Amino acid sequence: MNLKWLVRSQSMVTLAGGMIYPYYLLFLKNLGNSYSAYGLAFAIFIISSAAFSQWLAPRLDRLGIQIMLISSLGMMASMLAFPWISSYMWVLLIQIVMGSCNAMQRMSERLLLADHTEQGIRGPAIGNYHFWTSVAAGFAVLLGGYLIDWLTINVLFYTSALLYGVSAVVIWRARK
Amino acid sequence: MKKALVLLLLLSLCVYQFIRYDTNEQNPYLITDYSRLHPVKVERVVKGKEEEQLVELLKEAESKNLSISIAGQRHSQGGHTYYKDGIVVDMTSYNQILSFDPEAKLIQIQAGGTWEDIQNRINPYGLAVKTMQSQNIFTVGGSISINAHGRDIRHGSMIQSVESFRILMADGQIKQVSRTENADLFPLVLGGYGLFGIILDVTLSLTEDQVYRTQIDEMTAENYSSYFLNNVKSNPDVHMHIARISVAPENFLIDMYAINYQNDPSFSLEQHNKLRTRESGVLSSKLLFHMNRAYGWGKNLFWSLQSTHFSKQNDTIITRNNVMRSESQFMDYRQAGRNDLLQEYFVPIQEFAPFIQSFRKVLLEEELNLLNISVRYVNEDQEAVLSYAQDEMFALVCLFNVSLSSEDQIATQRSIQRVLDEVIKHKGTYYLPYVAYPSLEQFRTVYPRHQEFFKKKDEYDPQHRFMNYFYEQYKGEE
Repeated sequence: MNLKWLVRSQSMVTLAGGMIYPYYLLFLKNLGNSYSAYGLAFAIFIISSAAFSQWLAPRLDRLGIQIMLISSLGMMASMLAFPWISSYMWVLLIQIVMGSCNAMQRMSERLLLADHTEQGIRGPAIGNYHFWTSVAAGFAVLLGGYLIDWLTINVLFYTSALLYGVSAVVIWRARK
Repeated sequence: MKKALVLLLLLSLCVYQFIRYDTNEQNPYLITDYSRLHPVKVERVVKGKEEEQLVELLKEAESKNLSISIAGQRHSQGGHTYYKDGIVVDMTSYNQILSFDPEAKLIQIQAGGTWEDIQNRINPYGLAVKTMQSQNIFTVGGSISINAHGRDIRHGSMIQSVESFRILMADGQIKQVSRTENADLFPLVLGGYGLFGIILDVTLSLTEDQVYRTQIDEMTAENYSSYFLNNVKSNPDVHMHIARISVAPENFLIDMYAINYQNDPSFSLEQHNKLRTRESGVLSSKLLFHMNRAYGWGKNLFWSLQSTHFSKQNDTIITRNNVMRSESQFMDYRQAGRNDLLQEYFVPIQEFAPFIQSFRKVLLEEELNLLNISVRYVNEDQEAVLSYAQDEMFALVCLFNVSLSSEDQIATQRSIQRVLDEVIKHKGTYYLPYVAYPSLEQFRTVYPRHQEFFKKKDEYDPQHRFMNYFYEQYKGEE
């Protein structure tokens, strides 16, 4: 089965995510002004992800690819919103959205990987998938550093939003 | 094969990055300041929290014979905030507003509090700071230790707005210092670069927040002094002023423009006094500033766009508090091995045009990458022992892009010393919070009370508990 679109779209997603994650955590740390506030923001993300997974679970088999698409769009929206945030409450709200997107992305990714591979010969496909998504994250982190140094952290968020958008297009086209 | 190539590429990028950033100035285990020059290992960095804790820290330093350096935002550039193997007290967490009396227009704030903290508190009461830097990110303790100045032209120097302060001295005593109490310390600590003790809190007098209308004028450097005297200083409605000189090759040190902030009571303060919290246009300004750094044509482009941008701001309505929170993000620069460093010269008003001519001559001969010069006015104020405003003067804040390598630093120092010779010829002075490129002899010429300053330092702190590189570089042998 053809997994190329999945590898492509999800490499794009890890590129977009890998670019912002380390720096966005620093950004959160500065905003919260204490490690406890930072811990709370991160806990909200995880709780949201866990809770949302339970709502998604019964729908996952039927709507896998749509869920993946919504995840990319949701992340794009969050990235576009980040530079405009000026209060901690908004950070927490966006953490909830991002947590839900995280659940959607990870669950649909696993589902689609399983759906598009066959038992007994999954190894190479999963290895291939893991390689490209990891490599994308590696480049992303380096690129993220350059972008902040030379431009601004807002540009980083917008670039990430653009990549999430492109990944959404790739998923959209594979949907048919 | 494809995968191996991609991995190799990623790995090569990491190796390249490692080699490029494997310099002392990028070493996270060493301490430096905004300049990134002279990184050293310190004993530890301690966050200031309680008065009692600072007293204990001083005792510990004494028992272990460690030096103490005092740091705020660490934007000074000459090693004023740290010393090898010593303790660095980071005062930024010691930042509470202790009292605020809107009627008396007085505020008492801990030394690590910033101008922004003050502005946020006093803005709703229609009050503003009298004198501070153009940006509001600095701590109050740091600012008065360097006797900062800014765009205000009516309230005198920053130290004039200081009513009193409390300081933890080397002998463990906490002293209340004002112009009448322990008055000897007042002109030493203000502009004392952290050598006399830890300033704990400061009481500042405030002024009224006002609505200003901006007025932009263009002129040449030759005409600037008369323009300032006739159009700015003599007009009592103009409260703040800043000017810029072109560093573009096309009109190098010739063209200037000025921004005046003129009081306009026809606008209500309440409708305009929302504090600005977001910087706009950072990306485009930052990109342009990169061009300004790298190319001659970039400097021409930056100057022409900057002048156009500012001429469009004519008749803008802005409050005093918002003028005093100027944009700075676009100048952020973190390139390994290079940095943008400031030097600042003060020349008497009448000497401005002749000095600019000499300055231009030196700069054309030397290989200095000058990025920006802003000009501010300072009133004569000789209260501080190390006072730079020995006359009514213009302050030229010059931003240079320099290489941080040792060889290039020697060349930069030589060039800066040449500039300073011209400053001195024109009865000028220079500012001490920046890299100590000037020679000891130049320092002593410009600051005639240097002996008194260091003698008092020895008196108040015979063990040299409070140490920094400013002391080391400028004390010299008697």
